[in-house]
Amino acid sequence: MRKGQDMPVYLFTGFLEAGKTRFIQETLEDKRFSNGEKTLLLLCEEGEEEYEPDEFVCKTVTIRTIEDQTELTKENLLRLARECDAERVIIEYNGMWMLDPLYTAFPEGWMVYQEFFFADANTILLYNENMRQLVYDKLKSCELVVFNRFRPGTDKMPYHKLVRAASRRADIAYEYADGKVEYDDIVDPLPFDVDAPIIEIGDDDYAVWYRDISEEPKKYEGKTVRFKCLALLRQKLPAETFVVGRHVMTCCVQDIQFAGLVCQWKDAASVQDNSWMILTAKINFKFNRAYGKRGPVLTWISSEPAEAPEQPVATFY
Amino acid sequence: MTQIDIFSGFLGAGKTTLIRKLIQEAYQGEKLVLIENEFGDIAIDGGFLQDAGIQITEMNSGCICCTLVGDFTKALKQVIEQYAPDRILIEPSGVGKLSDVAKAVERVEEAKIGSEVTVVDAGKAKMYARNFGEFFDDQVKSCDLLVLSRTDTVPEKKLQEAVALLKEMNPEAGLITTPWAELSGEQILDAMRDNGLRAEMEALKEEHEHEHCHHHHHDHDDDDDHECCHHHHHDHDDDDEDDHECCHHHHDHDDEDEDEHECCHHHHHDHDDDDEDEHECCHHHHHEHDEDDEHDHDHHHHHHADEIFGSWGMETARKFTEAELRGKLQALSDEEKYGTILRAKGIVNASDGDWLYFDYVPEEIDIRRGSAAVTGRFCVIGAHIREDALKELFEIA
Repeated sequence: MRKGQDMPVYLFTGFLEAGKTRFIQETLEDKRFSNGEKTLLLLCEEGEEEYEPDEFVCKTVTIRTIEDQTELTKENLLRLARECDAERVIIEYNGMWMLDPLYTAFPEGWMVYQEFFFADANTILLYNENMRQLVYDKLKSCELVVFNRFRPGTDKMPYHKLVRAASRRADIAYEYADGKVEYDDIVDPLPFDVDAPIIEIGDDDYAVWYRDISEEPKKYEGKTVRFKCLALLRQKLPAETFVVGRHVMTCCVQDIQFAGLVCQWKDAASVQDNSWMILTAKINFKFNRAYGKRGPVLTWISSEPAEAPEQPVATFY
Repeated sequence: MTQIDIFSGFLGAGKTTLIRKLIQEAYQGEKLVLIENEFGDIAIDGGFLQDAGIQITEMNSGCICCTLVGDFTKALKQVIEQYAPDRILIEPSGVGKLSDVAKAVERVEEAKIGSEVTVVDAGKAKMYARNFGEFFDDQVKSCDLLVLSRTDTVPEKKLQEAVALLKEMNPEAGLITTPWAELSGEQILDAMRDNGLRAEMEALKEEHEHEHCHHHHHDHDDDDDHECCHHHHHDHDDDDEDDHECCHHHHDHDDEDEDEHECCHHHHHDHDDDDEDEHECCHHHHHEHDEDDEHDHDHHHHHHADEIFGSWGMETARKFTEAELRGKLQALSDEEKYGTILRAKGIVNASDGDWLYFDYVPEEIDIRRGSAAVTGRFCVIGAHIREDALKELFEIA
């Protein structure tokens, strides 16, 4: 790695037989992807397809294998990159591993430039039913989802929903057996009106709204929102600040987390900790110490005590 | 006591298809409950199950992160209480560990595990073993029957590789490699109930010995007891006291660690291990423990170092032509190369799709055609058996 420069990482995720190897092979055969950069190709999975390095346009590819998750360490990745003087890294990730250990192991300067998720359209819905956590883990951060071996006439909606439950950003491509590709153009209207004078969030829609505001906080700049939430007081918060939010379940009971936002109010101290309220507040995208960075910060306009919603834990339905 | 059969295997391996076949063809007359912990693509048809009077219970925690043990034990108890079934079939999540499910079952006093089956897609065994790690290893290593699926859609070589790999991971498990359509549910159930190869070896040895000593001593109520003057078989799979008697006399000391068995012609003492039971027999010595001893090989070979008689058995998915099989059996008479083969018996899949049943005694080869078996199988007994040479002869890697 050149000093002071990022190490671009191209990350390919998906289960066995999802078409990762074929895609990477084709990419490395493509002149447009290659300016002679020294490339480290890290394989965390060994499927049926084998690489054919002789076919690579890029003649400076070094292939290395990571056989076990425990080999994902900073030291190891650094050593592998140094050994081939890599200028970029391509990773074919193991579908059964969570992404966190990988991200955690990235040496300083390693930056994911692109993350693609591949899936065999014939198995992914079944896999998702049974391994939702692994699927969700990959979908939430990727930019492009490719459903390959897509059969003409298949209903796209289940695939679309699968992705959208995890990410509104990811592009979705449907690739047919003949190589033809269609991009997903299904528009999902949000279940609330972002342009209303007061954006009303239904009790069932909190998870969707929270995901949306997390993904596109700037869209909400200066807007007013009203929703039912749990108010929490915490000592570590800046003065005149409390936290509002709800527990959100993504896949199953094991992953329930509190999805909260910071709310500023001069009478924050009067809030009863752990109580439900209907809050009306203004949203600004700005720095707050509780976030440690810029984020959606609420400013209290009004609130009233409320009963807990019928489903206290919010979900993506 | 409710019997519990567990069917593990990765998503898409064919668990549901196998269960359906068994329900339709083999479990008839039993009061069944099916517990599914997986969202399958071929859902078992509810109507068919109802017609068959089967209760179906879904435990849809279908997610890798949910630990099922505690809840599962509770759910099982409830099911037993509510339906009092003869048998519960469990289809755990394809990414779950079989040993976890078994543990949960073991905590239910009212239930007993009948069989732990793992279904593996023959074309994917190698790839899964390489990339899945823990849960796949666990499924293969914890089961007592490996059922390969889609064996008719993979090249024979690939099937043999899968068998070799799986047998290496779990040498003890029984094996089914025959396409399911060629088997009856009953045959599959038989394979679940008892390790086919081992049973075959026992039968062969017994047969052989009877021929020689003209004496037959009848079994006691326990199937594991085989007695005869030349052969002694001792199974230690549970606390049941096994009584073994030989034709001339039998010594039973009070000391449990020192069972002595004597045979008609020859008396042989074995003192290498205090915990070891002693079995003596003039021609053959077979000693079988349930765990951690000789069985940890990819074959069944039981003999002590100082013993010249032995047996060798092997399961295989390899196909043979009749002429090829005959040629190989003829070759067995080469004592220098293979040892003194006294008897060989087995079943193999013929290249033409039939199954060849063979019997070999020196100078006499009998090959018949018959119905499909769950997998190909060789059993050989003799003196100074050269296993490697035999493996090579039958081209079983």
